Amino acid sequence: MNDPLAPATASPPDVRVWDVLLRLTHWSFPLLILVMWWTAENDKWAWHRRTGLVLLAILAFRVLWGFIGPETARFASFVKGPKAVLAYLRGDTGAGPAIGHSPIGGWSTMVLLGAMLAQVSMGLFAGDPYDGMTGPLNPLVGVMTADMITEWHETFFNVLAGLIVLHLAAIVFYASVKHDDLVSPMLSGARPPLAGVAGIGPLSWARGLLAIALAAGFALWVAYGAPPLT
Amino acid sequence: MQRYKSSRFVVAALLAGAVIACSPEAPPADAPVDAAAADAATAPVDVAAVLKAREDNFEGIGDAFKAVRGELEKGTPDFTLIATKATEINTAAGKIEGHFPAGTSVDDGYKTEALATIWEKPEEFKAAGQKLIDESAKLAALAGEGDKAAVAAQAMAMGGACKGCHDKFRLDDKK
Repeated sequence: MNDPLAPATASPPDVRVWDVLLRLTHWSFPLLILVMWWTAENDKWAWHRRTGLVLLAILAFRVLWGFIGPETARFASFVKGPKAVLAYLRGDTGAGPAIGHSPIGGWSTMVLLGAMLAQVSMGLFAGDPYDGMTGPLNPLVGVMTADMITEWHETFFNVLAGLIVLHLAAIVFYASVKHDDLVSPMLSGARPPLAGVAGIGPLSWARGLLAIALAAGFALWVAYGAPPLT
Repeated sequence: MQRYKSSRFVVAALLAGAVIACSPEAPPADAPVDAAAADAATAPVDVAAVLKAREDNFEGIGDAFKAVRGELEKGTPDFTLIATKATEINTAAGKIEGHFPAGTSVDDGYKTEALATIWEKPEEFKAAGQKLIDESAKLAALAGEGDKAAVAAQAMAMGGACKGCHDKFRLDDKK
């Protein structure tokens, strides 16, 4: 404010796009997926299981946040029908400027979240009690079913890795071809001013704590074998 | 668990580089292998082949035991299959003793779960292997009689032989 070089008219403020809980959730994914991969390759099965349960809690939080989080976190605000997706792909900007996921980015988010949920869910049933570590829900399925799920769990990692490569390629495409920096807003939460766009309001910590408590409770319940199921 | 290792390493290394600065180190087993390979010159053993043969043998035992338990989860188990699998386990169990030449423990720097205890207590290790030979022979014989409860009890006894040996001589990967 006291800067003599500052323009006389204050420039409009940056637009808040992503809340802090969503950003922490997002960045925990690459970190935890790397840990999950490393612990699997190096037979650190107790850590693989623990980390997987943390990932389950965070995924559960993200799903809840998709219903009670700020606007850009909500599934209802970014999961669009085929018309909107096709219009976006054609470059039709009739809907005006927007923040948050694009129609195609929304689906990318759903596919990535779904793939992580599928992978973690399979892990819950994987393993063999006579041969090392098992997921907490392993006793719910027969030995041959668990064996099959374990193999899917191993193979499906490659699908997940492929989707992540696609995700990174899309970010590079937006940065290089469309000159749209998607990474900085995911780090800082804000993007440069955009005419006619207000951004998300302040974070409701009550809702945040509620979603965190519910997600942590759910993961803890699964960690203990989902009583009384096991 | 090693089947997709190389492809996963490439993909994961790619991700590591792209997503985060601290990429994981190569498995710690890599460095000491060279030293161990030099030692092996005194007693020429193709360690890689030894490790593979014994892992394949144990994996075969594990798969056969899973097949036995899978049958016992059914209302009417296929006792012929159980007998066949028990015999497979019996044959494989007989090979265990020969799969542990000196200098092939995890302490020798190899990516294996074989504890040095195997060579420190050779008699005990041999007895543990013999237990699996005996219990699997009993299971094969019992399966012919077709009494589900008795076969299930014997399958669990055989599982106890697996577990007993793992508890003493195999790296605890639950840590």
